[in-house]
Amino acid sequence: MSGFTISRRKMLVGSAMLLASTAMPKLALAQTPKKGGRLVLAADSEPRNLNPAIVASNGVFFISSKIVETLAEASFDGKDGLAPRLALSWEGAADGLSATFKLRDGVKWHDGKPFTSADVAFSALQIWKPLQNLGRTVFKDLASVETPDDLTAVFKFAKPTPFQLIRNALPALSSVVPKHIYEVGKIEDNPANTAPIGTGPFKFGEYKAGQYYRLTKNTDYWGKDEPYLDEIIYQVLPDRTSAASALEAEEIQLAAFSAVPLADLDRISKVPGLKVITKGYEGLTYQLVVEINHRRKELADLKVRQAIAHAIDKDFVVKTVFLGYAATATGPVPKNDPQFYTADVPTYAFDVAKANALLDEAGYKKGADGKRFSLKLLPAPYFNETKQFGDYLRQALAAIGIDAQLVNNDSAAHIKAVYTDHAFDLAVGPPVFRGDPAISTTILVQSGIPDGVPFSNQGGYKNAALDALIAKASETLDTTARTDLYKEFQKEVAADLPLINVAEWSFISVARDTVGNIANNPRWAVSNWADTYLAG
Amino acid sequence: MSPLRRFLRTPEAVAGAILLAALIAMALIAPLLFPGDPQAIAGPALLPPFQDWSLPLGTDRLGRDVLAELFHGARTSLAVGLAAAAAALAIGAVVGTLAGFAGGLVDEVLMRITDAFQTVPSFLLALAFVSVVGPSLGIVVAAIALGTWTGPARVARAEVLSIRERDYVASARAIGMHPLEIAFREVLPNALPPVLAMSSVIVAAAILTEAALSFLGLGDPNRVTWGGMIAEGRAVLRTAPFLSIVPGIALVLTVLGVYLAGEGVVETTAVRRSLS
Repeated sequence: MSGFTISRRKMLVGSAMLLASTAMPKLALAQTPKKGGRLVLAADSEPRNLNPAIVASNGVFFISSKIVETLAEASFDGKDGLAPRLALSWEGAADGLSATFKLRDGVKWHDGKPFTSADVAFSALQIWKPLQNLGRTVFKDLASVETPDDLTAVFKFAKPTPFQLIRNALPALSSVVPKHIYEVGKIEDNPANTAPIGTGPFKFGEYKAGQYYRLTKNTDYWGKDEPYLDEIIYQVLPDRTSAASALEAEEIQLAAFSAVPLADLDRISKVPGLKVITKGYEGLTYQLVVEINHRRKELADLKVRQAIAHAIDKDFVVKTVFLGYAATATGPVPKNDPQFYTADVPTYAFDVAKANALLDEAGYKKGADGKRFSLKLLPAPYFNETKQFGDYLRQALAAIGIDAQLVNNDSAAHIKAVYTDHAFDLAVGPPVFRGDPAISTTILVQSGIPDGVPFSNQGGYKNAALDALIAKASETLDTTARTDLYKEFQKEVAADLPLINVAEWSFISVARDTVGNIANNPRWAVSNWADTYLAG
Repeated sequence: MSPLRRFLRTPEAVAGAILLAALIAMALIAPLLFPGDPQAIAGPALLPPFQDWSLPLGTDRLGRDVLAELFHGARTSLAVGLAAAAAALAIGAVVGTLAGFAGGLVDEVLMRITDAFQTVPSFLLALAFVSVVGPSLGIVVAAIALGTWTGPARVARAEVLSIRERDYVASARAIGMHPLEIAFREVLPNALPPVLAMSSVIVAAAILTEAALSFLGLGDPNRVTWGGMIAEGRAVLRTAPFLSIVPGIALVLTVLGVYLAGEGVVETTAVRRSLS
């Protein structure tokens, strides 16, 4: 991420080295992958639907990515940031009307049937395009999938579709499920949604509600000598404070997705035998965003939005709310994105005097009680950090004479209040950047999205120039031209502030020293873990 | 021996009274001692207590002054506790008096409603009520009162049942007073003492319920509450335990103070009654 995070990581590596000096024999063992063993880790949520082809979300991937594989996975050093999985190679046609995937040979489903291009065609047409939360947008122009032979799938698009987008979407959106299982009955009701069948290194074992998920080794896996682990147990620990104690008590060996609260990391990094890892989430960046309801006449005024942007001390937010495990944001694309990010956008330095002046200029003078106007502020309840930022934002707004009243809701009520009823003035949201702005980022500012679509522009914002830019980028095939359009997009968003990007953060893993090959790809926590092993 | 002297002779009552007086003093002087928003960011985050004498109890995860929050939290706790108890006693007394005095069908209907409320655990009722209507101070008071008025109602009814057979009630009837007037001017005032005796328990329970609701994130987020402070501190329990311990101690002392003082008053008056 930013320079700061990297230095933090270095510091942690440094402290890990220190630890290593006291645990040398153990670490020496950790050099060569070892077979066997059971990995027990913390799971903080229990998704009901485990089909990643339908529900493309990190909560589902965390478990099901070990069972159901995608065509390609994100990679630190692979070409275009990808490593092959079920597909060996991929190529887009120059006219943007087709994309060809060569598939891996000798892959078998967990029930023994062979994996073929028919499964890919079925998944793409019957699930990704019509049913998947993210695939609906990315694959909207997918017309058919031709299967000239068992190991070739050719995607045909009705309208030119940038291959860069398809490529960037592969790690999260291309989970392939077996046709022979899903072609019977309604896809949404298929029993394999709760007990998935895939091609991955692990098979689904069992699920005990409130207790654990158990995955077992797939002895027929295509990867040579893989997987190393015999079993993975996801111990359900919904209470965030219990993951740290479970690690210390050696009840679990791994807590991913920041299951250990940030405030505990300093302490836990000093515990012998445990390591804190900030890598392995580069492809899963969450953005801390202030969503704005432009139906409020005060907030429809650009000067007011600028004033709010100037009132937020982003460095304070990173330092205090995220304890340094985040980076300040400049716009709608995170700094750690290698393809699209540009720093060349209007920025808003923390400046309370300027914010006050802007509000005065806009005609909202302070009343006798020092208040200009009152707002309803709805912090999203999903993360501690979004709630805390809500508390901070209230104080930051008080400093410029805006009286923000916090409204706390549970997840369901929050989604309804913000995205269906629009009963908010400001909201704090954590949208995810998924490697390409067209997957889940442009939707945050685009107009014309029906009511009730979560994590989209529900603030009534409408900017014809920005809409045109998004439309143009969605049909621009040339990678460089498309990238430039998204740089333009970032500038426009930062200038007109349909929403305010405050910070970007990712997750932290804490593991015992014995867990090997951690964080070796940018989506490690949601990748297949075929090469993960336990030493000692 | 005067009741006051008798009260002062009971050490636990005195201890309770002192605690309660301290709490009330905290609540009253909070805006003088800590003017402005207690949730304003006052210093560096997670400052431990007794390090910086301008922030004697340290700061929380955002750098807010724990002492200021504690003082302002006393206001919320006390306001909610007293308001909820007053509301519960008022509802209970009225329902109990009506049921006891009217008898017959009215009694049956009112008491079955009381039963219905009594069978639902009061905390769950408050929880459900607040999550449906949305958290704000008034709603929290109403939610707590909703679950606690049944006790006073039953006591008031029992008391009214015995009082309504007394001679002065019969004479009030004889001079043609309206039944409602008799109920609320003659009967209710005499039925009140045992009902009021429950107030200390109800106030203490109300303060605890409010704290529990805030702990679960169902308190008014725009006010400092002790329950909310404990919940905030829970995320950093291992690194900064004082954030949960300080408001926790305040809560314990408050509930203890209210209860002991209330018991002291009840016992003093009870002795006086038995003596007279």
